[in-house]
Amino acid sequence: MSDIAHPVAAVRVHATGPRSARLLPYVLSLPALLVCIGILVPFGTAAWYSLQRYNLAMPFTRGFIGLDTYLDFLSDPDFWNTVQVSAIYTAATVILELLLGLGIALLLRQSTRLNNAISVALLMPLMTAPAIAALMWKLMTNPGFGVLSWLVARGLGVSDFKWASDPRTSMLTVVLVDIWVYTPFMMILLLAGLRSLPTQPFEAARLDGVPGRFVFFRITLPMLMPYIVTATLFRLLDSIQQFDIVYAMTQGGPGDSLMVFQVRAYLEFFQYTNVGRSAALMMILWAITYALSNVFVKQWLKLRERAHGAH
Amino acid sequence: MAHTDAHSSRLGRLLRGIALTAVVVFFLFPIVWIVMMSFQTNEQILRIPPRLVFEPTLINYKALISGKLVTAAGSLDLPFMRNLGNSVLLSAVSVLVSLVLGVPAAYAFARFRFRLGENIAFTLLSFRFAPPLLVLLPLSLYFQDLGLANTYTGLIWVYQLICLPLILWIVRGYFEDASPDVEHAYRVDGHSWWRAFTRIAIPLAGPGIAAAGLLAFIFAWNNFVFALILASADKQPVTVGALAFVTASGIQYGQIAAAIVLSILPTLALALYAQRWLVEGLSLGAVKG
Amino acid sequence: MTRETKGERPVHEKPRDLFDAFVAGRVGRRELLRRTAALGLGATAATTLLNAAQTRALAADYNWKAHQGTALKLLLNKHPYADAMIADIETFKNLTGMSVTWDIFPEDVYFDKVTAALSSRSSEYDAFMTGAYQTWQYGPAGWLVDLNEYIKGKSAPNYDWDGVLEGLRASTAWSGKPGDALGGPGAKQWCVPWGFELNNISYNQRIFEKVGVHVPKNLPDMLEVAAKITKDAGGPYGIGVRGSRSWATIHPGFLSGYTNYGGRDFEMQGGKLKAAMNSPQSKEFTKLWVKMIQDSGPKNWATYTWYQVGTDLGAGASGMIYDADILGYFMNGGDNKERGHLAYAAFAANPKESTPTANVWIWSLAMSNFSTKKDAAWDFIQWATGTDHDLFGARKMDFVKPVRTKVWEDPEFKQKIGSYPGYLQQYTETAPKAKIYFTPQPLFFNLTTDWAAALQRMVAKEVPVDEGLDKLAENINRQLKGAGLG
Repeated sequence: MSDIAHPVAAVRVHATGPRSARLLPYVLSLPALLVCIGILVPFGTAAWYSLQRYNLAMPFTRGFIGLDTYLDFLSDPDFWNTVQVSAIYTAATVILELLLGLGIALLLRQSTRLNNAISVALLMPLMTAPAIAALMWKLMTNPGFGVLSWLVARGLGVSDFKWASDPRTSMLTVVLVDIWVYTPFMMILLLAGLRSLPTQPFEAARLDGVPGRFVFFRITLPMLMPYIVTATLFRLLDSIQQFDIVYAMTQGGPGDSLMVFQVRAYLEFFQYTNVGRSAALMMILWAITYALSNVFVKQWLKLRERAHGAH
Repeated sequence: MAHTDAHSSRLGRLLRGIALTAVVVFFLFPIVWIVMMSFQTNEQILRIPPRLVFEPTLINYKALISGKLVTAAGSLDLPFMRNLGNSVLLSAVSVLVSLVLGVPAAYAFARFRFRLGENIAFTLLSFRFAPPLLVLLPLSLYFQDLGLANTYTGLIWVYQLICLPLILWIVRGYFEDASPDVEHAYRVDGHSWWRAFTRIAIPLAGPGIAAAGLLAFIFAWNNFVFALILASADKQPVTVGALAFVTASGIQYGQIAAAIVLSILPTLALALYAQRWLVEGLSLGAVKG
Repeated sequence: MTRETKGERPVHEKPRDLFDAFVAGRVGRRELLRRTAALGLGATAATTLLNAAQTRALAADYNWKAHQGTALKLLLNKHPYADAMIADIETFKNLTGMSVTWDIFPEDVYFDKVTAALSSRSSEYDAFMTGAYQTWQYGPAGWLVDLNEYIKGKSAPNYDWDGVLEGLRASTAWSGKPGDALGGPGAKQWCVPWGFELNNISYNQRIFEKVGVHVPKNLPDMLEVAAKITKDAGGPYGIGVRGSRSWATIHPGFLSGYTNYGGRDFEMQGGKLKAAMNSPQSKEFTKLWVKMIQDSGPKNWATYTWYQVGTDLGAGASGMIYDADILGYFMNGGDNKERGHLAYAAFAANPKESTPTANVWIWSLAMSNFSTKKDAAWDFIQWATGTDHDLFGARKMDFVKPVRTKVWEDPEFKQKIGSYPGYLQQYTETAPKAKIYFTPQPLFFNLTTDWAAALQRMVAKEVPVDEGLDKLAENINRQLKGAGLG
């Protein structure tokens, strides 16, 4: 944690002067921290569970086994499958949603009535809870009653498309649903960012007749980067912890084709009552997200400085 | 890009229009379909092949709003409106609490460089990494001991895990974008720090606060697992409530569709409101270099 | 409320006709509600009317008022059986003077809620609905009360425990030792059977007539019939079975047919469990099963749960299902397109066997070990699983698969289900050998879920059946060893 703690921001002021002024930032930020710190206790408990053989249905076998559960995972092909499936899912959704979200934000950049109406309308998929939306997607992809199956059969002439039911297309299907739900999140963050960019550089570029592509890659994109990093970070954290859509659509199947981390951990706990294994899976997931976000936050802080330096 | 010549050309406008139409169709077609389903009976929905033309009915909405009519006994209530109320309460209060806690903290991280500052900021963000399931089981045990099990207070506290990191990080970005010079000038004028914060800094970060608050609201609204595990049936949000139409004697798709429509409406209203504010906030010339 | 009494008390003539019409399936639930309301007869009033006599009869030789004033809380699944109980709850309140509240959760998340409530040792709920399989976890975990002492020592004289189907009483009792027979020596009664499900055929008569096929007699026959429907029915596919990645895919039709072919889940070898999913019998059956789904099952089979299997049958998208009989029953009413067209038949999958071996699902009532009102909770359980309430539910509500033989002999119930062709008959033919055919062990949910995942791979042709089953057995044996069971 400490290695990201020394940014040098030109705009920031050192809290100096009278004691009360020095304490001010702590006074402002500590309440938020205190409210969250309570979570550390159950977190610690869960970490402790992960070091035990602990199946609720077999209370007499409970005992401390150290890192055995973790070591077992190393030689467990099912675990590595989960790592792989999660990685593919996360990469596919985050990259596609970023590109699509950025594209849509650029289309809606100008603050016209129509654009503003569209940007709010596009938020609607995000407002349908994924757990419930997945039920509807399941219906819409039903081969008999499903409008999407019907469209695919009529429009594309593919009558045997099995959507989430075929291990070859299941990933594609849930990624599609994820894109539908979460691209608006990317879009709105990036749109807000785009519209808050200073207009001067763009005016200057226009007067100088700089070509559009150059403006985009040399001005828009770098200035937007902090927003892109923030939006991507949040999507990344959510996507790698994906549960609702996958569980509601296929429960991780067919076979193990969608067995992402949280689905596996959920099954381990709620269906198999294996607390130790469930906790260990979650700890690994936590470590991965922690490492990833550390990278992102460092990047974010760097970009912020650069953006402000350019002012 | 909107200012470049390429985009004002006719071809550019045409391409733009096509792209936008495709986007709108992809994202809104399922919504339109759901709205259409909400005006159909189950029998109409379950037709092969699906049909575009149908005779609309209001029975799904009537059932949801009156809370009756669905099951055999009649004495059985359909607590959907209560679920909706719970969702509004849980999401709105959680976001308010997050704003009260998160905005000052975001300001502190953006304006001051202080010992452990980045550590605290990262720790707050890190609450977002903990997979919710990881903390849920031990949390449910501690909630029993603390008397927080099955209380709105307990739920709102847990909902901070969803709302607070989001608000904190987005708002922080906006505070950093707003130049501190305006605040300094205002303070040099003899105003207190508090007035500078509330009169200058917060309004300048308005769009960010609105967007972050709205997103936090949506994520809180969509949450499913916290209330399910930590509270009893009378405190469940719509996400759990809508599953009640998945019954052993069949899935009531029409009612689920109506439930989705009704559950989008409050958030949509909020989005429309925040959107107006967002646009106003953006027109503030001061932010733009 | 039989027709003979009509006219004696003219005041009640209209409501009575209405109930009769409801029972005979001529009037739907919504219609019943609307019309009872129109008659000025609220549902509660109607219920009280139906049960006034019942309450008096029950109160005879047992002190039902011992816990007067106690407040009980139940955890219930949103299910027609729970609806039937709630419709009759005033009877219980009047009988005992207790107050009862309940939390109902949707079936999709119900067991997650139970697991969460019990694992946090919450004392909120006194009694709750459960399946027998779940008690293989809940019991050994120490979350349930062994109900033997209550059944034997603390129940009303007319409780008639022996009147519950024997196979079901045994199926809900287990010693807790992995591999021990259900209901064997030293078995603890973890829950009391309430309503159950048999797995047989429910089929669409309209489609069967149109295509010109008969009800399949065995599995090879079923493959042919289903294939013909898929080919000739002009849209509908032949056979609906579950296929989602869940234990629920294994326990209905699949395990019933599997058992009929002589397949077992495990063998006991020297006190240790050993996977038997790759036995020759299992391979023979599984090959047919997989081919049946590939040829004539639903296209989206791997996402099919109870709901999709039922919805398709009710909407005429499938010709038949091999699943819970009550699922077929529910689809014959309500606002389903094919209501009134469905019929039922017992099914013995193995051509060499004549008796079906239906694996059962048993909705049961269990008592939480964390309850602070156990005696009062028992009074609730014995009332809800007693003959009188079961008769009420069976006659008036959708409590259509009661566990008591006496209820099955009731003329009014018989008349009610008589309008559903073959429903009663498939019960009588199947009941003698209906029980849980799984070997009880605490890893039930892991291993059956893996089993379902293996089936999915075979149906998707990712792996041939023989190889898939060998791999499955290997995987399961490894897990059993890891848990100290194999």
